[in-house]
Amino acid sequence: MDSLQLLGQGFETCFTPLNLAFILIGVLVGQIVGALPGIGPAAGMALLLPLTYGIPPVTAVMMLAGIMYGGMYGGTLTSVLVNVPGEAASVMTAVDGHQMARKGRAGAALSIAAIGSFLAGIAAVIAVVFVTPPLAAFALKFNAPEYFLLALLGITATASLGSTSPTKALMAALLGLMIAMVGVDPIAGTQRLTFGQLGLLEGIDFLPVAIGIFGVAEVLASLERTAEIQPIRTRLRDMWLTTEEWTRSRLAIVRGGLVGFFIGIMPGAGPTIAAMLAYVVERRFSRHPESFGKGAIDGVAASESANNAASHAACIPMLALGIPGSASTAVLLAALILHGIRPGAMLMVQQPQLVWGLIASMFVGNVILLILNLPLAPLFASLLRVRYVYLAPGILVISLVGAYASTLDFGTVWTALAFGAVGWLMIKLDFPRAPLVLALVLAPLLESSLRQSLLLSFGSLSIFVERPLAALLLGCVVLSLLLPVIATIRRRATMKSA
Amino acid sequence: MLSKDSLARRSVLRAATATLAVTLVSLAGGSPALAQMKAPKGPVEITTGSGPGGSPDVIMRTVIKIMTEQKIVDIPVVMQNRTGGSHSNAYNYVLGKKGDENLLLTLASPVFTTPIMQGTPSVIDQTVPIAGFIQSELVFMVQPNSPFRTMKDFVEAAKKDPRKLRIAGAASGGTDHLATAMIEKAAGIRLTYVPYESGSAALASFLGGNVEATFGTLEEGLPVFQSNKSRPLGILSEKRRPEASYANVPTLKEQGYDVVFGQFWGVSAPPGTDPAIAAWWEDKFRKVVATKTWQDGLKEKFQRSDFYGGAAAGEYFKKEQATFRALMEDVGLAKK
Repeated sequence: MDSLQLLGQGFETCFTPLNLAFILIGVLVGQIVGALPGIGPAAGMALLLPLTYGIPPVTAVMMLAGIMYGGMYGGTLTSVLVNVPGEAASVMTAVDGHQMARKGRAGAALSIAAIGSFLAGIAAVIAVVFVTPPLAAFALKFNAPEYFLLALLGITATASLGSTSPTKALMAALLGLMIAMVGVDPIAGTQRLTFGQLGLLEGIDFLPVAIGIFGVAEVLASLERTAEIQPIRTRLRDMWLTTEEWTRSRLAIVRGGLVGFFIGIMPGAGPTIAAMLAYVVERRFSRHPESFGKGAIDGVAASESANNAASHAACIPMLALGIPGSASTAVLLAALILHGIRPGAMLMVQQPQLVWGLIASMFVGNVILLILNLPLAPLFASLLRVRYVYLAPGILVISLVGAYASTLDFGTVWTALAFGAVGWLMIKLDFPRAPLVLALVLAPLLESSLRQSLLLSFGSLSIFVERPLAALLLGCVVLSLLLPVIATIRRRATMKSA
Repeated sequence: MLSKDSLARRSVLRAATATLAVTLVSLAGGSPALAQMKAPKGPVEITTGSGPGGSPDVIMRTVIKIMTEQKIVDIPVVMQNRTGGSHSNAYNYVLGKKGDENLLLTLASPVFTTPIMQGTPSVIDQTVPIAGFIQSELVFMVQPNSPFRTMKDFVEAAKKDPRKLRIAGAASGGTDHLATAMIEKAAGIRLTYVPYESGSAALASFLGGNVEATFGTLEEGLPVFQSNKSRPLGILSEKRRPEASYANVPTLKEQGYDVVFGQFWGVSAPPGTDPAIAAWWEDKFRKVVATKTWQDGLKEKFQRSDFYGGAAAGEYFKKEQATFRALMEDVGLAKK
């Protein structure tokens, strides 16, 4: 039977009152847990998992998957409005989205995020329909050497992030890498930089750091200039996208969606890394890279499209091989097991009704989310009309509760506060904050994949050129390092000749 | 003629015998009627250091599902994932909640191995053991197109080229790492162990053809070799599985390599927990394990459910802890 016929049957499964109701519940819950910092979609799914025992397995996975991609839509909200990433995958959204909000363009940021997420999400599901088995095989070609080069590509790009000097950006990235070194060595299991503190054994998680460095620091910095901060006065009709904004975002959505999709199918990466890489890719392609970090709508469009595409793409290795591509798909797998269904390479053959019902539900869920988010964008954006003195304590509370909720350990609240101070210092000294967070997210992947690669190759560096995909990525890394150098040389040459 | 007194004494005796008989019957039936039992007030949190979807998480969620659905317990029981630090976040939380009657800790191998690796006091020696109730075996698999047909082929290749055969596994110091160490020791060979972030990442690496071999639980392994993506060389257990799908897979032991190593999971209560509460929980876990739902699930997942309750659980966990320590000292993972 071909895919379209199976998909048709999937829609039949999907269009029952019960299933539609549960898809709606799923995406609503996803929207909420996505917006609340600290509780990401994976944690939200785990929380609701016990409630699905009484309902049929297909309905259960439809609802849980709704939380998974609903979270990608919801995470935008807090990132844009209060500069606190609602969930891990919207860290990059906070960078430019909040700057847009400061300029009174919160409505536009939220709208483009919803539209980008929708388009990239739908495209990703279409890809799931037609090319799941070959793509799953392709995903397996990615292993430690490729992951290492991918992460390296992200790290080398940090230099260009931020508006001031590349040196400052690199210093911030280096600090991020150092913070990531704290904890237990992933390969040998020895302790590093823990100073005998049990609390540091597990390392410093990036979520409280991001919450501190973006959310808390923002509040601290604004305390000094409360008098100057005017509530953002926007009229409702300013909330919609301008033609210029839409033109700037169109290709960003396409590129972000593509990057997100390919990172998403790799079992080692996930939506957070997808969004970050999409952001740095977009900056490279942009005609006005200098605006990134100061409220570039294409930055928001790229990273939001990427995280939603990635969250759908992660279903490909899960459905075809039983290998989860992200934290959320791991919970989906657990749900299948608890409902008595064995995931694995035979799932698509043995449970076509479930698999195709799930895929069809993703079309439905994304449509619901778009309808839900577009009218809500101006509504939420008008929250910013509240005077900042009243808003600030709220932001602080949301930030700290989020830090606590991510681990249920009070230590993370102190981490968030400490990094709030670090972030405040960085604002004062005009250091860009995004490179630090980016480096912190990429560091574990960078480190363990380098060491895994060298174990696989018995210590030889040739593994990075012998594998075709690795060689290709290595070329990209070299190019990304050389391009700015070449550009500088050229500029000097033209200056001399002039 | 019997005095009133002796009659009375006789009836007391009779009653005592009856009680004893009832006790014996109930003991045979598997319920520890001798111990004083007290129910916790609830709601109860079962903590695990595993993320949602990990084996310990799925097992405890299954237990909670059965407990609640079949009305074995009537207080709310919720699962809480306290991830991070190779389960140390979770067990440190429980160790800090002395005498908390509404809290249980899920025991999985990291709860034993992390303290050994970090040189911190044993967790199991401090908490109150409730039950060890589920065990799972491992299958050793090689690439489907490899020249290795038996474990002997594999071992001989490894002898010829030490450290040239690669094994993908989950985490440094995890079950797969220790199983690799056991094989190295039993066969007198050296291999290269490549640790990944999770079991599924290791499986992805194996399926991508990056390594020669990997381990899987019997449940994970079945779809892999049924779809001809791997060749099972042996199970790391005492005897073969009874199920038809595994009947042709020999044990490593019968091929001459004494490698018997598997996974097990259990549950314990915070330090200083009231023995009556512990006895109550032991009884509930015993009841869960006896349900048809649980037993059916075991068959499907190729798991065993040998039950060790209370003091027996304590002995069982101590023995496993000693095995872990010896193995980890062998591979240099134990902190002195």
